[in-house]
Amino acid sequence: MTSRIILCADMDAFFASVEQQANPKLRGKPIAVIGSAARTVVVTRSYEARAFGVKTGMNIYEAKNACPHIIFVPGDNEKYTYTCGELEKIYRKYTPDIEVYSIDEAFLDITETHHLFGGPVELAEQIKQEIKERFNINCTIGIGPNILISKLVSDISKPDGLRWVKDDEVSLLLEELPVKELWGIGPKTTEKLMAMGINTCGALGRAPVSLLRSRFGIMGEHLKAMGQGRCERVISVNEADPKTIGHSMTLPKDISSIRQIEAYMLQLSDMVGSRARKHGFAGSTVRLTIRYPDFETFTKQTHLPEHTNHTQEIYRAGVQILDSIKLKDKVRLLGISLSSIERVTGQMPLFKEKAKQKALLGAVDAINDKYGEFKITWASYSAMVERPKVIAPAWRPSGVRNIKIKK
Amino acid sequence: MKITVQKEELQKKLSDIQNIVEKKNTMPILSHFLLVAEQSGSFITATDLETAFKEPIALEISEEGRIAIPARKLLEIAKEMDSSITIESADNQWVKVKSGKSQFRLACLAHEEFPVWPALSDAEKADAMTIEAPAFLEMIDKTVYAAGEADTRYVLNGLLFHIKSSGELTVVGTDGHRLALCQRSLGLSTKEDKKVILSRKSVLELKKFLDSGEHAVKLTVGKNHALFEIDSIQFLTRLIEGTYPNYEQVLPADNDKDVLINRSVLIKALRRVSVISRERSNAIKVELDKDIMVISASNPDMGEAKDELTVEYAGGQMAVAFNARYMLDAFSAMNSEKVVIRLKEALSPALLLEEGKTDYRCVVMPMRL
Repeated sequence: MTSRIILCADMDAFFASVEQQANPKLRGKPIAVIGSAARTVVVTRSYEARAFGVKTGMNIYEAKNACPHIIFVPGDNEKYTYTCGELEKIYRKYTPDIEVYSIDEAFLDITETHHLFGGPVELAEQIKQEIKERFNINCTIGIGPNILISKLVSDISKPDGLRWVKDDEVSLLLEELPVKELWGIGPKTTEKLMAMGINTCGALGRAPVSLLRSRFGIMGEHLKAMGQGRCERVISVNEADPKTIGHSMTLPKDISSIRQIEAYMLQLSDMVGSRARKHGFAGSTVRLTIRYPDFETFTKQTHLPEHTNHTQEIYRAGVQILDSIKLKDKVRLLGISLSSIERVTGQMPLFKEKAKQKALLGAVDAINDKYGEFKITWASYSAMVERPKVIAPAWRPSGVRNIKIKK
Repeated sequence: MKITVQKEELQKKLSDIQNIVEKKNTMPILSHFLLVAEQSGSFITATDLETAFKEPIALEISEEGRIAIPARKLLEIAKEMDSSITIESADNQWVKVKSGKSQFRLACLAHEEFPVWPALSDAEKADAMTIEAPAFLEMIDKTVYAAGEADTRYVLNGLLFHIKSSGELTVVGTDGHRLALCQRSLGLSTKEDKKVILSRKSVLELKKFLDSGEHAVKLTVGKNHALFEIDSIQFLTRLIEGTYPNYEQVLPADNDKDVLINRSVLIKALRRVSVISRERSNAIKVELDKDIMVISASNPDMGEAKDELTVEYAGGQMAVAFNARYMLDAFSAMNSEKVVIRLKEALSPALLLEEGKTDYRCVVMPMRL
């Protein structure tokens, strides 16, 4: 494969920047985004707060200690996912080959398109400027021959940076760079490498494969390649078919009433079913997850004779599992997931009744798509409408992993 | 009880019931068979509560008795023995199984624990009818593949037997995507129309005993059970309750575009194209034009397949997608040299027929591509 030009765009203090953008009073001030629960920690903090030594993971008291005039802002997932989606639209103006890697990072393959914008750096400047104008968010862009280098360059150019490391400059960049800077080398691996006398990427790249293999197994070769700045992984533009489609929610309060539990299960089944239907998937394994207040977690699954994405069929399978067990305590969290996923085949049903069911679910999905989630929902659930506020780490702005976050 | 039985006799009779005795240990008695040794008649009985099976067994009786013996274990023992086998029980808990110098002691259950054979009333018995076994077997073969295997609509996991007082029998199987219907005038003598649904599993089991040849089958339909008598074997199965879907309604009446094609040529082409299609949904595309049929499949991860066939067709250009397996199942069950695919439009059901006949009809719903 010819050398690619990969751009990594990483938002600086993303959640904090979004909050500062949304509320002008917060701009230029040290703020920390925290969770909504009573016992929470700093999720991210603005660069103003970083100057005072406020770190991610500090609890409120520690943060206040470090920076007495810090402003705490509870996280608002809906704002972040919306912004992330809008950012993707901006990227799309510059190249169709995009992998939104996480909520605030994206890889863009600009090999074929950068000349239209005057070159990689010029293209990157235009992206930075557009994001700044639109959202008042600073971002750092690293450009390199693969995703490993572009990510590394963006990491070491923060904040508000822009740097292009060309193919022939990679070895110079890596020579003296500590191994821990490399994306994918964590504290444990760093420790092991240091024990072997490998401190820099340059040394890692020169280390004999046999030595690395004997210490790290199959990963050894991969590590050596990383030390040389090589990376086989290409950006994944198309999302792979999911293995499971699931939802879980921590309930607003612990419950023990079976009717209530079933109501939440119906809701979860509907979330799972409608997401599967939207993306044309069906599954034949239904799994129920129950977490008790002491965090003991129970899961059990059942196999269905046929693949399904029908809310009611998923729900029935879940209830069957629930009926087969004895709850040992109140329930803190419920989860329903569908696995053994296949693409829906398009096989039409022979009998009208089945076609009717399908049409009904299609109509409900269409209405909810147009007017917002849960505009039409099951009567037994409508009495209890407290929504979860959890954003999954695997969240993606589009595709089957996209989960609409409601306040 | 004390009896002696030939190894071959015991082995054969125990083999007959192995599919009926329960493999899971949910109800221990169901993994046992009932051995009745009486001068007036000796027989074995097995049941899974859906199907019950009774067959005579040739015994030398030294002492009459009844006992429930583990069916699988006794078969395994019988297989390993060399000659005649003696079974002796002193109480309801143990039997001794002896052959030559070999000796086993097997835990047993009392015969009272064995489920009672469901009796049919005299009125029900009076309306028994006789069916030619080969014709009956063929009708089952032509429909059973289309029945559902584990559908939540329970009736679809069975075959419908519609017996008309005119003497006609219709057997229908459907899994909700395709349907197979076989209709024969068998001169059945019944006073009134009867519609019964028998489970796919029990019909497949019954098929084994029909295979034996030219015998006639005596069928008695009761309120809750159907009893088949083949020679001296009694095969009784519970009727599936519920309403079978209205099959007549889904038989397409106004399809008018006929494709006439050599059956074995078509089957071969379908098999070839399936090599690519079966990895996923098994979807194949059938494109028709004047006397030409092109079957193709594509799988984005793998590649494409295409087969062109000469057919007799004058219905104008058309493209329709099917599950290749449904087509293969139906055409494989047919016997004629040429077959007909009778179409209307891309998203309406297709009717598959043997050339020049309408007693066997298959309906296949297309796929949206």
